[in-house]
Amino acid sequence: MSRMNGPRFIIGAMLAVLVTSPLRAQVSTGTIRGHVTDKATQQPLSGVTVTIGARRAQTQADGGYAIAGVPAGTDSLRARIIGYSPSSQSITVAIGQTVDVDFALTAQAVGLSEIVVVGYGEQRAGDITGAVTSVGSDEFNTGRVISPAMLVQSKVAGVQVVDNNEPGGGLSIRIRGATSVNASSEPLYVIDGMPVGNGAGGGLSAGRDPLNFLNPNDIENITVLRDASAAAIYGSNAANGVVLITTRSGGGRAGTQIEYSTSASTSSVTRVPDMLNAAQFSAAVAQYAPTRSALLLNANTNWFGLIDRSATGQEHNLSLASSGSNMSYRVSLGYLNQDGIIRGSNTQRVSLGFNYQQRLLNDRLNLRTNVRGSRAVDQFTPGDVLGNAAAMAPTQPLLDPTSATGYWDWNTTNASPSNPVASLNLASDQGTTFRSIGNVQAEYRLPFLEGLRANLDVGYDVTKADRQTFFPNNLAAQVRQGRGLLALTNNTQANSILETYLEYAPARAYGPGTIDLTGGYSFSQSHAEYPFFRETGLSSNLLGNNGIPVAANVLNTKSVVDYRLISLFGRFNYNISDRYLVALTVRRDGSSRFGPGNQWGTFPSVALAWRLSREPFLRGMTSLSDLKLRGSWARTGNQAFGDYLQYPTYTYSDGQTQVQFGNQFIPTIRPSGVDEGIHWETTSSYDVGVDYGFLNQRFSGSVDWYTKNTKDLIFTVPVAAGTNLANFVTTNIGTMRNRGVELSLSARVIEGRARRLGWTANFTVSHNTNELLSINPSRSVSQILTGNISGGVGNLVEVLQPGAPINSFFVYEQKYANGKPIYSDTALRMYVDRNADGIINDSDRRPFHDPAPKWQLGHSSYVTYGSLDFGFTLRAYLGGYTYNNVASANGAYQNLAGSGMPSNLHASVLTTGFFVPQYYSDYFVESASFLRMDNISVGYTFTYRRQPFRVYATMQNAFTITGYSGVDPTAGLNGIDNNIYPRSRTITGGLSVRF
Amino acid sequence: MKLKMFTPVVLAAALLALSASACTDPTVAPKSAVTGANIFADPASYQAFLAKIYGGLILTGQRGPDGDRDIAGIDEGFGEYLRLYWYLEEMPTDEAVIGWNDPGLPDLNTGLWGASNSMVNAMYYRVFYQVMLVNEFLRQTTDPVLASRGVSATLTATIHTYRAEARFLRALSYWHGIDLFGNIPLVTELDPLGATPPPQSTRADIYAYAVNELNAITGDLPPNSAATYARATPAAAHMLLAELYLNAGVYTGTPNYAGASAEAALVIGSGYTLAPVFQNNFTADNNTSPELIFVAAQDGNRTQTWGGMTFLVHAGCGGSMSAATYGMDYCWGGYRLKQQAYRLFGAGDGRAAFFWTAGQTDSVISIGNFNNGIAAPKFTNKTSTGGNGSQLGMIDTDFPIFRLAEAYLIYAEAAVRGSGSAAQALTYVNALRTRAYGNATANITAPQLTLQFVQDERLRELLFEAKRRTDLVRFGTFTAPSTYVWAWEGGTAGGTALASFRNLYPLPANEIIANPNLTQNPGY
Repeated sequence: MSRMNGPRFIIGAMLAVLVTSPLRAQVSTGTIRGHVTDKATQQPLSGVTVTIGARRAQTQADGGYAIAGVPAGTDSLRARIIGYSPSSQSITVAIGQTVDVDFALTAQAVGLSEIVVVGYGEQRAGDITGAVTSVGSDEFNTGRVISPAMLVQSKVAGVQVVDNNEPGGGLSIRIRGATSVNASSEPLYVIDGMPVGNGAGGGLSAGRDPLNFLNPNDIENITVLRDASAAAIYGSNAANGVVLITTRSGGGRAGTQIEYSTSASTSSVTRVPDMLNAAQFSAAVAQYAPTRSALLLNANTNWFGLIDRSATGQEHNLSLASSGSNMSYRVSLGYLNQDGIIRGSNTQRVSLGFNYQQRLLNDRLNLRTNVRGSRAVDQFTPGDVLGNAAAMAPTQPLLDPTSATGYWDWNTTNASPSNPVASLNLASDQGTTFRSIGNVQAEYRLPFLEGLRANLDVGYDVTKADRQTFFPNNLAAQVRQGRGLLALTNNTQANSILETYLEYAPARAYGPGTIDLTGGYSFSQSHAEYPFFRETGLSSNLLGNNGIPVAANVLNTKSVVDYRLISLFGRFNYNISDRYLVALTVRRDGSSRFGPGNQWGTFPSVALAWRLSREPFLRGMTSLSDLKLRGSWARTGNQAFGDYLQYPTYTYSDGQTQVQFGNQFIPTIRPSGVDEGIHWETTSSYDVGVDYGFLNQRFSGSVDWYTKNTKDLIFTVPVAAGTNLANFVTTNIGTMRNRGVELSLSARVIEGRARRLGWTANFTVSHNTNELLSINPSRSVSQILTGNISGGVGNLVEVLQPGAPINSFFVYEQKYANGKPIYSDTALRMYVDRNADGIINDSDRRPFHDPAPKWQLGHSSYVTYGSLDFGFTLRAYLGGYTYNNVASANGAYQNLAGSGMPSNLHASVLTTGFFVPQYYSDYFVESASFLRMDNISVGYTFTYRRQPFRVYATMQNAFTITGYSGVDPTAGLNGIDNNIYPRSRTITGGLSVRF
Repeated sequence: MKLKMFTPVVLAAALLALSASACTDPTVAPKSAVTGANIFADPASYQAFLAKIYGGLILTGQRGPDGDRDIAGIDEGFGEYLRLYWYLEEMPTDEAVIGWNDPGLPDLNTGLWGASNSMVNAMYYRVFYQVMLVNEFLRQTTDPVLASRGVSATLTATIHTYRAEARFLRALSYWHGIDLFGNIPLVTELDPLGATPPPQSTRADIYAYAVNELNAITGDLPPNSAATYARATPAAAHMLLAELYLNAGVYTGTPNYAGASAEAALVIGSGYTLAPVFQNNFTADNNTSPELIFVAAQDGNRTQTWGGMTFLVHAGCGGSMSAATYGMDYCWGGYRLKQQAYRLFGAGDGRAAFFWTAGQTDSVISIGNFNNGIAAPKFTNKTSTGGNGSQLGMIDTDFPIFRLAEAYLIYAEAAVRGSGSAAQALTYVNALRTRAYGNATANITAPQLTLQFVQDERLRELLFEAKRRTDLVRFGTFTAPSTYVWAWEGGTAGGTALASFRNLYPLPANEIIANPNLTQNPGY
């Protein structure tokens, strides 16, 4: 206490007395209470944070709040919430009295004073120098949302969220395009300050999105650090941007608040592949494989009709939040059960979250604890079902009482389609993921220096994910090959992290401005074990996936992977009268993924901003409420790829790859091809942006131009023969560039007044072009083929080639006659001989479009009228292309006449007349531009017995307008539509209530 | 709630932060992979490494039949050494046609491949994969290195034999390399890893290097015995020398038929005998054949691959054939005979006994239709006594790289070309024909033993054994100006002679860029 002086000492002493002597609190403090409303509509505002000194509360549904234990005296009381201008009043509290203070807040589309979470700290939105987009829970997508990232799909300019249509299926996010070829292009996820890895979804799972462990209902806010200067504080993991997720915490008035929400949904299939029907199929067989006609039966089976379904889902969330004078907590329990629209797929999740905050030591020490855990049980549709539903002949019946399985199947030993329903009902594929993360954060305002805070954050992230795949040996496909399969994995990963940093942000000025300094240290490590068991040739089916029968071929592997990242980081913010803003950050990372001399990398950034609207010469323009110019440069890194690549290693063979050595068999060892000098991939980014706002932020938004140059790409490339022990080596080679523009506009088109019509609209537009600039000419190659497709063996339809976007399709130029592709035995008549050598071969293929959308447009509208609200989200992706692999692999008459039994054909064959599959015809590269009504929702909020209720209904994927002929134009990042899971249309009804 | 209670907490936190700050070493050593630093602590590693090099001819990686591949850039099963070699030696010739539309295959049917053909490229990388493994093995097994590891004298002696075997395998791959690609780099154990791209050597220089190597190691190779089955014996080295000498005219411009004859004679004198039944060289138990000199050994349970015999047995089966007849799970419906090859077989030739004609046409009108062209499932997963191999999906049959019959034919060809005894040559040829026909009725006379006869007899005897392109090039009949053409050669059903530059395959287009020292073969 002796370190304090002046009035602060008196307040401190009083607070100390308060803390140490609760019984006497009432004599030295008072209470503040009141209501907060929207100034225009006079509707109560819930969730407003009301602060006095270090005490705070959040308003309830009725707009009411109360703060007890306020020290007597005069202080400033502030109220703030996203979307409104903050307000403050000076109030005087007398001992033992209650003061009523109401606020009427003015709506403001972008809260310039709103606090935004950034890496290792928070900042006022108006002071941010980088491109940062924060999406609060009131703007989240509604309806059937299983994975957190789906909450912000099409809400943030420049952010592409790609899902795979399965319930809770794996998600990918691309922020400003892909930056890497062989390292990950997924962003880093940080949950409540704790980085959780940067693979797709950050972490481990049984097969669905690893972030599913986090109940979307527990999320308060998702902030996307789009440009590198904002992300640079995360250094080596920041090249792909950072997604910061903040979970909901306790708060509000003293006392307890219970919230319950529930929803039920039904989903149906929108499109299935366009295959021949029974009559068309019979006709095709009669014409192209007449000897097979006798094999056809006269059933008329719609195989897709037998494997899809109307899927239902339900969700329940219960939370309890409570807040006392020095502490608050929130406990939440969630349950979700969602069927997929293809039978056999389902996800079930039970999640538990606990958030606890405690203020101690005269509010100098703030402890926050987050612990969450979940169990997800996932059922997967067996892997061959979709392909067989497409390929199984529609003339054949479902059942056959005489067969071993009871299902009809081709009686042949040759590779042939098999009955998808048999597989659906007899095979099984399921996984269970347990994941828990937790951390304790301590923030201590040091007493001896005003503005100095110390932070310590210790956390863990533990995952156990198992998966059991079982195919019985009597399934037709298994009888032909494999004779049953049992595969078991039981992966575990345990990560721990310790971060500590000091922040110095004094009120006093240094020179003409104020400073905000942050410096810290981070240590994280991960230990993962991946045991894997697979056997084929099962002697018995009776145990299913619950036992291990004797089998012909057994494979057992286990790998243990350790990883460590050690970092030092610092940030310096300088603010001159809120007009000139400077932010410098630097991070130094040491990673176990690199060898001696390459372990440490330094990642700096510089960002400048000029708030023109604060300049005297613009003060006169009252309609201009915000104008800020931003410019930044940053260097970030990427190290998200395999571990131990820097070590020359030897790999043992398994029991099936032994070599006969005279009269014995010897397992082998293989030396690895290695570049021991592998190092960071670095991305240098430039961003120039403008934030603007008019009419008191009634219209606001931002425009950003950026360039990202990635060099030393971590790239698996062919190396000159005779230089290494493998023909492809993972090394640092090549450069890539992403350039783009992002534009966002938020408008309160109609400002609702007193329960009248209100309309808010948000628009986002982004354009990105990706180009692989070089694959080092002196050491590597001009073309690397990628893009595995089904059909034949080893066909690759995409290419990495300097001058073209990554994964451009690599195909022949189809010739047409009468609007139809020409088919001929002579390739020269079918395809353009681009090099004019009179031969059609690989040299005539060329890069032709690529899967990434060039333009991404998003629009959300939110309309309110009285207690009714209505919203929708529209999304358009333009300029992306998709390879229709279902058409290319199945659209050929040879599939009727091959060594296997006739397989159903894609209807495109009626147009193309292809006899032999033409995998490399550009006919199958189709525009995947689309406009989709992602989400329409209607809600009604009312009060019943003084409790606020809300009911709503949402329709997801209401319609899609596209010229793409396959199942879904969003066929994944690689743009290859190969029997993908169909997209569903989902209708959800929900209810929430608070007590 | 006493303030004092929390002071220790804060202190502890600060202490924790400090102690953590002291940890600044991010190094983590691998646990599940053995590093180069300690692999040879296990003496078994030397044999395992040599086994890897042998396995490089038939296996595709460290997991069977697939899942952890050696070479990238191609489907793992396609990228198997012998399968690629077979494609390149058989498909553009008068022997085989494949109806699949997989990448690179259609252009091999017609002979119109480009420098980016994935099969051609992968073969090049397989050759150098073998060479680099051998070089690394030799670097890891020099006497000083072994001494530094304290390797026992017994093991050191064994490793001397291993080293000779490794050098044999390198010479074998260099032979394939110069035969297919002409001028390629010569990389030896003296060239360090990861260095700058190697310079291009000449076909003649590598030929000379391979000959020298083989002559140097023959005495160190293990003698033929049950313990050395599937390993390189002196006879294998002589056979490889015979092949090199036989084609010396192609490789160096100077023929060496005398050398071929002498080496063939050495092979013939090595104790091998013709298998009484021709077909028993190609069965699931062909390891018992007394005729096989060097094989790529496969085993249904222990040596699994999608290349090699798994490919050859499955892909030769299709149409109205039953997979069970060949001791396997199902037919892949791949390769058939071109009519030019089929018509070379005379009536009663037992070497055509396995041909499958039911539902097949003689002529290949449509490449994509398996029923066009007579099927010729020479290789089978049935044993000589009619039993099945150990598995139906994976094959037991070993691929004969060198067998005695070819030594006979090399001797005969050299004799026709003026080196060796013509009478002895006739005896050898007739031994093969007697076996083929079951009697002497189809034996030939001395005047009938012509170059054309040898060319045709090699097709009949060595059909689908991956010799044909080399033969046709040597006989000058693979490309123009020869007027001998076959179905789909040059992209036409009736056949159009290929341009002569196609006697060589192109170096991979990517390799030309990766290695600036290389000059592409003319015409590409």
